[in-house]
Amino acid sequence: MKGAGKERLVLIVTYILLISWAIVVLFPLYWTIITSFKEKLDVFMGPKYLPWIDFEPVLKWWKRLFTVERSEVLPPFKNSINIATVSSFIAMLFGTMAAYALTRFRFKLGRLGNQDILVWIVSQRMMPPIVTLLALFLMFKVVSEKYLLDSWLGMILVYSSFNLPIAVWVMRNFLSQIPISIEEAAMVDGASRFQIFFKIVLPLTLPSLTATFLLCFIFAWNEFLFALILTFSDARTVPILIASQHFQRGPQWWDISALSTLAIAPVIIIALMLQRYLVRGLIPVSK
Amino acid sequence: MKSIISLFTGKWAGRSFLSPTVCILLALTIFPFFFSLWLTFSKVSFIGGVNIQFVGLRNWARLFEDERFYNAISNTLIIVFVAVSMEYLLGLGLAILLSNSKIKGRGFFRILYLTPMMLAPIAVGYMGRMMFNFNRGPVNHLLRQVGFPPVEWLTNTQTAIYSIIMMDIWQWTPLMFLILFAGLETIPSGFFEAARVDGASRWQLFRYIIFPLLIPASLAAILIRVLETFKVIDIIYIMTGGGPGISTETMTLFGYSLGLNAFDLVYGSTIAFSLFVIVLVVSIVLLLLTRRFQEQ
Repeated sequence: MKGAGKERLVLIVTYILLISWAIVVLFPLYWTIITSFKEKLDVFMGPKYLPWIDFEPVLKWWKRLFTVERSEVLPPFKNSINIATVSSFIAMLFGTMAAYALTRFRFKLGRLGNQDILVWIVSQRMMPPIVTLLALFLMFKVVSEKYLLDSWLGMILVYSSFNLPIAVWVMRNFLSQIPISIEEAAMVDGASRFQIFFKIVLPLTLPSLTATFLLCFIFAWNEFLFALILTFSDARTVPILIASQHFQRGPQWWDISALSTLAIAPVIIIALMLQRYLVRGLIPVSK
Repeated sequence: MKSIISLFTGKWAGRSFLSPTVCILLALTIFPFFFSLWLTFSKVSFIGGVNIQFVGLRNWARLFEDERFYNAISNTLIIVFVAVSMEYLLGLGLAILLSNSKIKGRGFFRILYLTPMMLAPIAVGYMGRMMFNFNRGPVNHLLRQVGFPPVEWLTNTQTAIYSIIMMDIWQWTPLMFLILFAGLETIPSGFFEAARVDGASRWQLFRYIIFPLLIPASLAAILIRVLETFKVIDIIYIMTGGGPGISTETMTLFGYSLGLNAFDLVYGSTIAFSLFVIVLVVSIVLLLLTRRFQEQ
């Protein structure tokens, strides 16, 4: 009997701790969302927590986001959607090809083998981006200031290279779980490596490809430092738009909150779709 | 004579699958890396096109005499050390709590706990500024309610760095949790039952079974977070902009401010490269530690 009582106490304490952390996680999100529905006065009059009780929610900041008055808001969203989509697609496709090569072929570069090539690719992501960024800025300036700086092309290029290591890593983990026998059967039937890759491997891994694409999309969507250095006006992305808010007119918390909510909403939706694959993709399954 | 098709079969097929990735990385990471290294020994002028001249160790000499450099190193190290160790402890605790199969709604908690790391760090920075606002922030409101004086979180040189660390912990504990939780799932449940039958206490179970089995996952998680935290800029850029003064300036922010804001590209590159050397040394030490644990 005493054991059961202790068991219950442990369970209750566990619930209290888990719910406390849940509140810690949710509160800043909740605060951002309700601030986007507050009148200026309700923001300045000190913390107000509950809509309809502490303050009367208003929709005007949300309406204002989409009006001419704030015409600077929509272009960065368009830029971010295009840059993130195209660069994630490139990273996914080339990353999958590289992952396929590393799981199905044996490479020899002197004493270096497949594992070393994989480590080399993944380690690119470990390097602090500021190390290459200033040189990249100068490189783009010298090669073609017009086409590479403050442009979709330049941003797509850097985000593709920035996401490739992640794509290779995730797809390698997925591909190494797929049995090779199907491909061998196709090879016996005389299919070329390219036919096998595009007609058999890609369709088989469609869910993993989607997960990889969405993961790259989130990284590109949230990325700040590359965009800060390589874009100034035409190709500004969403994080740059949000970051520029308090420099322009002092912190207008209602506007910033509405913008932030708009910027994190798609990511939260993607994350909910992705969560099943996240654990399996990022962490290799030991066999 | 070989046909074009044969290029894509056999030995060449593998190479052609790998080459787009290798080419992109060579052009956009490896080349800029060496270009950046060269810049640290050069000076650049933009008069009449871009002119790059070799100047020897001048930039490096300037760096080692720059007090702002040592300030940025020490801020970065404080953030890395405090944030990563807190994230590890919290992530480990949450993973162990949630691994209890008697808990209802585990799936819900897991998704919820992972949310912060998905969000744009810029938005998280603004959340931090609102949370820690002196007059109107909920954190000071809570302090006043329980009878403590309000704290000048973001405007005091002593506390600003810890406000940033708290937001970093908020955002990145999820990654630690994710890796450690996945690590826990791979431990066969038979281990726990056997230990239970032998009469092991909860602490003994943790100390002698769970923790040792989690060491590989722990080291991987810590390595990833240490490397990522060395790069930190976005949250700080929004929350304090490196201030008050330069009390929260990190290496990346320092490199950015001088490299692009002050448009001293070569000095910015030198700062960035010194960060690279530090990160390299730290990761080699961590990898050697990992290897030592694996040998045991």
